[in-house]
Amino acid sequence: MTDLCDLNIVHFGDASVDFAGLREETAAVLDAQDLSTERCVFVVDSVREALGCVAYGISNDLDFGVIERARLSPEVEGRFIEHAVQLRNAHDGTVVGCVVAAVEIKRGRVTVLTSGTTGLLKLIAHTAATLNTFDRVKSLPENTWFMPYQIGSYAWYQMVALGLFKEGQGLIPGDFSDLAASFEDAVTRGVVTAISSTPTFWRHALMSIDEDILTRAQLRSISMGGEIVDQGILDRLAALHPKARIRHIYASSEAGAAIVVSDGKAGFGADVLERTDGVIGVKMEEGRLYIRSPYANRVDAEGWVDTQDLVEQRGDRIYFLGRAGNTMINVGGQKAFPQDIEAHLMTHEDVLWARVVARKAPLMGALPVASIVLRKQMDEMAAELMLTAHCEAGLAEFAIPRMWDFLSEIPMKTSLKS
Amino acid sequence: MERTEILNIMNMIMTKKGRAEITDESQNTREVNFRSLDFSETALRIEFKIGTELSFEAASMRKIETVKDVLDFFEEATKAA
Repeated sequence: MTDLCDLNIVHFGDASVDFAGLREETAAVLDAQDLSTERCVFVVDSVREALGCVAYGISNDLDFGVIERARLSPEVEGRFIEHAVQLRNAHDGTVVGCVVAAVEIKRGRVTVLTSGTTGLLKLIAHTAATLNTFDRVKSLPENTWFMPYQIGSYAWYQMVALGLFKEGQGLIPGDFSDLAASFEDAVTRGVVTAISSTPTFWRHALMSIDEDILTRAQLRSISMGGEIVDQGILDRLAALHPKARIRHIYASSEAGAAIVVSDGKAGFGADVLERTDGVIGVKMEEGRLYIRSPYANRVDAEGWVDTQDLVEQRGDRIYFLGRAGNTMINVGGQKAFPQDIEAHLMTHEDVLWARVVARKAPLMGALPVASIVLRKQMDEMAAELMLTAHCEAGLAEFAIPRMWDFLSEIPMKTSLKS
Repeated sequence: MERTEILNIMNMIMTKKGRAEITDESQNTREVNFRSLDFSETALRIEFKIGTELSFEAASMRKIETVKDVLDFFEEATKAA
């Protein structure tokens, strides 16, 4: 049985409960089941249930994970069946969907869920040890962390691990249906002292919450990760919370947490590439970032994880450029896939070639923009109206290109690819 | 950028989307169905026209409720660009 910080508190609005209480709640409904002989994922209806399942699963070295019921679909359930994962209701342990034949189980395995850049659900195997990336931190001041992440994601498990394994670390789960409002509520209550989030979360918060309320928050620690952290957001947060320790952390579900930057600047110092402390290694090859880490769940023969992140050295700093082969466009939180849009455009009889990319845009973050080669010349405004109407008939509104560039010929590289 | 030019861009988007043109600055953006996606597209088209990225405070977007607010916002943002 794994020992946890039983006394750490989780706040749910007005109510609060410690991890021992959450574990007992779950034990009361799951102890009747023998879960030691299967790989299972608990289907939860609330973050409280999810946290109880994690405390219970880790305490009992189960082979388990959690997923919100709202994320289930025939396709998602199919992914679990492919991996011989049994879905079970967290509230009573009964089977969800069909019974899955048990195969080899690994005690202590924690199944982390990620949709990655492709949107396809992936199951990433971790353990309490690989999720507990705070184990190298000797002393951590007491904090109550606002936790805005989606249940079951890597970032969510990292924050849960912080609450489970480091004394004095309380958690405030955000309400995923309105994160900014739940953050405002936590700030107004005066309970939040630290937050781990993404730059996008902060942009939403800065647009949605009065600055007076935000500056009233007694934040001592602000961590960001999950996407490129730009200088603008770092400067803005430093101005709002001059006393807070602001860090951005490079972590991924496969490489684990690897680089922590606390100098207030975007990117990270090139000296990290020379680091030889033997715990975490970082290297850059052909513009890609590679990590060697004890928290990684998948490595090559020499122990490196290809993060698929593109980086560039400018002076003594390394900057992130984006994802290798990244095809997803994040339009205000909705995922649009260029290949889908291109495929739809190319079903139009007048379109010879289409290329769709993301263009950075205020408010929505990014918009899809299209380059088009038409079969025959026509007025550009008329072509835009024609193709917009064509897209409206087959694509979600956020996926419809908003800017159009009509080219006279198909661009081609020496590889004969465009 | 002149307000009339900004309004022309907004109305071009409204027309493209099959909606009625905006005629009254005091109208609420929700009433005329001018959405967040339209706001972002307006910004992109303005950037394309002036050849530079707009510069503004994220917090100033929070106050936008009417067509006049949109026009004021972009007028200021283009001055700062």
